[in-house]
Amino acid sequence: MEKAIDVQNLHKAFGEQKAVQGVSFEVQPGEIFSLLGPNGAGKTTTISMLSCLLHPDEGDAFILGHSIRKDAMGVKSVLGVVPQEIAMYEDMSARENLTFWGKMYGLRGAALKTRVNEVLEVIGLTDRAKEFIKKYSGGMKRRVNIGIALLHKPKVIYMDEPTVGIDPQSRRSILDSVLKLKQEGTTVLYTTHYMEEAQELSDHIAIMDQGKMIASGTHAELVKIVGAMDRIRVTINSESAKVLETWKTVTGVTKVSAEDGTLTILADDSNRVLPRLFESAATRAVRITSVDIQEPNLESVFLHLTGRALRD
Amino acid sequence: MKVIDIAIKDMTRSFRSTFALIFMFGVPLLMTGMFYFMFGGAAKSDQGFSVPVTKVVVANLDTGGPGFEAASSAFPVGTKAHSLGDMILTTLKDKSFANLMEISVVDNAEAARAQVDGQKAGVALIIPADFSQRFSDLNGQATIELYQDPTLTIGPSIVRSILSQFMDSMSGARLAVSVVSKQTGSTDPAVIGQVVSQYMASIPTGDQSAALLDLHAPAASKPAANTVATIVSFIMAGMTIFYAFFTGTSTAQSIIREDEDGTLPRLFTTPTTQTTILGGKFLAVGLTVVVQMTVLLILGRLIFGIQWGSLLPLVLVTLSTVMAAATFGIFMMSLLKTSKQAGAVLGGVLTVTGMLGMIKIFTMGSGSSPAWADLASSFVPQGWAVRGLSQVMNSASLNEVLLSCAALLGMSVVFFLVGVLRFQKRFA
Ligand SMILES: Nc1ncnc2c1ncn2[C@@H]1O[C@H](COP(=O)(O)OP(=O)(O)OP(=O)(O)O)[C@@H](O)[C@H]1O
Ligand SMILES: [Mg+2]
Repeated sequence: MEKAIDVQNLHKAFGEQKAVQGVSFEVQPGEIFSLLGPNGAGKTTTISMLSCLLHPDEGDAFILGHSIRKDAMGVKSVLGVVPQEIAMYEDMSARENLTFWGKMYGLRGAALKTRVNEVLEVIGLTDRAKEFIKKYSGGMKRRVNIGIALLHKPKVIYMDEPTVGIDPQSRRSILDSVLKLKQEGTTVLYTTHYMEEAQELSDHIAIMDQGKMIASGTHAELVKIVGAMDRIRVTINSESAKVLETWKTVTGVTKVSAEDGTLTILADDSNRVLPRLFESAATRAVRITSVDIQEPNLESVFLHLTGRALRD
Repeated sequence: MKVIDIAIKDMTRSFRSTFALIFMFGVPLLMTGMFYFMFGGAAKSDQGFSVPVTKVVVANLDTGGPGFEAASSAFPVGTKAHSLGDMILTTLKDKSFANLMEISVVDNAEAARAQVDGQKAGVALIIPADFSQRFSDLNGQATIELYQDPTLTIGPSIVRSILSQFMDSMSGARLAVSVVSKQTGSTDPAVIGQVVSQYMASIPTGDQSAALLDLHAPAASKPAANTVATIVSFIMAGMTIFYAFFTGTSTAQSIIREDEDGTLPRLFTTPTTQTTILGGKFLAVGLTVVVQMTVLLILGRLIFGIQWGSLLPLVLVTLSTVMAAATFGIFMMSLLKTSKQAGAVLGGVLTVTGMLGMIKIFTMGSGSSPAWADLASSFVPQGWAVRGLSQVMNSASLNEVLLSCAALLGMSVVFFLVGVLRFQKRFA
């Protein structure tokens, strides 16, 4: 079967800033594929190249067989793009926006009208379709932002952090609509820095950091990287710097990262490691105030591979 | 057609923006309106002030003086008069005053007053029986009764001022009479009548009624009205052109703003070519300026009564101006990177080029515009637009405006090419 998305060694630099350095991956038709990475990882730059907005310095990619270098129009006609920043006309209503964007995707007449109504239904804004976008809440804007990309029923959809900065309810409804797209056979390329979203939605996940893909696979495959390791979250009553370096040398500890008073430790066996951490803390007059042992997850994988936390 | 869809979308947004509308229509009309009212609204028509016509009823009871008989050549209106009362009546009936007064005659004082009381007339003028007599009598007091409707102010005051003007000139005659009578020692009414007649004939202006007209405000505004109308017309022309260029640049700014808002990049993710997208946006700029100029020209005609000249040359000049204003906007925007930059730079550029272009209008008051002003204005498109429109307003033919139009279109081609090339490169 033809690959939905086939990315081959993409590179992009902005002057000295190497935003994407040799990214390659494949997405099968009907899959949800997530690019998971912290701010500045190069997710948007990758998506921009894949939607022909940026020319890659090197490499190529094929969307349902259309080369992003040689057949931009072919790529654009099979594609729906949900940009990270909300992009629509605030001084027009949702219906006017959808109608205009529908025309840009080549829809006309009765077919356009029907489709606009369907999409309004999907994003749950039929009742407020006549209002100007500027009167909408952030969550409603996000939903229209997605709706625009659904109008022409594209085979492939890119969604660049579609849930940033919105309430849990709108977020839930967006995640459900992504799952619904999958049911309808749409291929989705999804970027996020929330590992829970990647975990819930994706068939495949690629972890990006500093312009590179550092791991990829199914959720299960990725978690296997950290094996049976436990993730221990410890909070202490003083600065994490006091214990950070010594804890890295404690037997059984693989990685330690710190963010404001909370330390995350990857360890082979928490039962054996924990007493040593308490002992080490005691000798430095640091009190451990809470301990939380978690199953390994994508967070642990990222920590394991980069030595940093996924969240910033 | 996606080009049209994009253009319509842009125009919808422009005409929804209160800010844009104010600068498109509000400000140019307001500026012109300020001048219009500063000059007392005199530009409205060629007739100067429009003063309501006052109904004047005259009871001329004057029986004439001894030997008073002015020859037709002796007083302005050229008919024979038997009394001073006749002279006054004939003067008032002169057609120069036709748009100020409507004269009717009754034969007694009561009837005249009754017409004013019954509001059939605004002013009653009663010339007493002994008017000529008393006038001829050097010690006598010659008076006319003016009976007026108290609710009227303008009408009676006009009549009064015309009368006093008349009486002033008559007192010149009276003075002549007193000189003659002192020298000859004669008080013979026949002699006095003759002197009056001769005096009237010798008044240097020759045309008595013309002299009266010149001295009176309502009529005197006649020549001034034309100048004011001209000034207001040219100010409106200048404003229309200045704000056409303003609209051209500010609507072209939507290209940069859409780029910043992410809607332009989003358009580029749809299967729409760059030519279509930029074409649609350029079309919107052009059409917006067409709408703006058309509306301003029509409102200028309706509100200020401006005569723009004959249609065909006007259409040609307007379209050439639209082309120049739209392409100028696109050109300016292609040179700028951010809308912040655009806001700061544009005000300055538009003001300077606009001023240069309108230099002829500013120097209009001081007669012919200096050569350097002509030269300077020919470097900016606004200059050619002003030139073209002024030509049309001075009833130029199609052929005569061709140079201005050619200059505008030539500049448009350059602006367009540079703008398109730069934008194509930017969004490639
Ligand atoms: N137009 C640009 N000019 C210069 N540098 C850029 C540009 N776009 C992105 N970058 C840089 O490239 C790197 C990758 O940015 P990118 O937007 O792709 O990250 P991201 O993974 O989408 O991050 P986020 O989660 O914050 O959206 C960053 O360091 C960013 O500063
Ligand atoms: Mg991004």
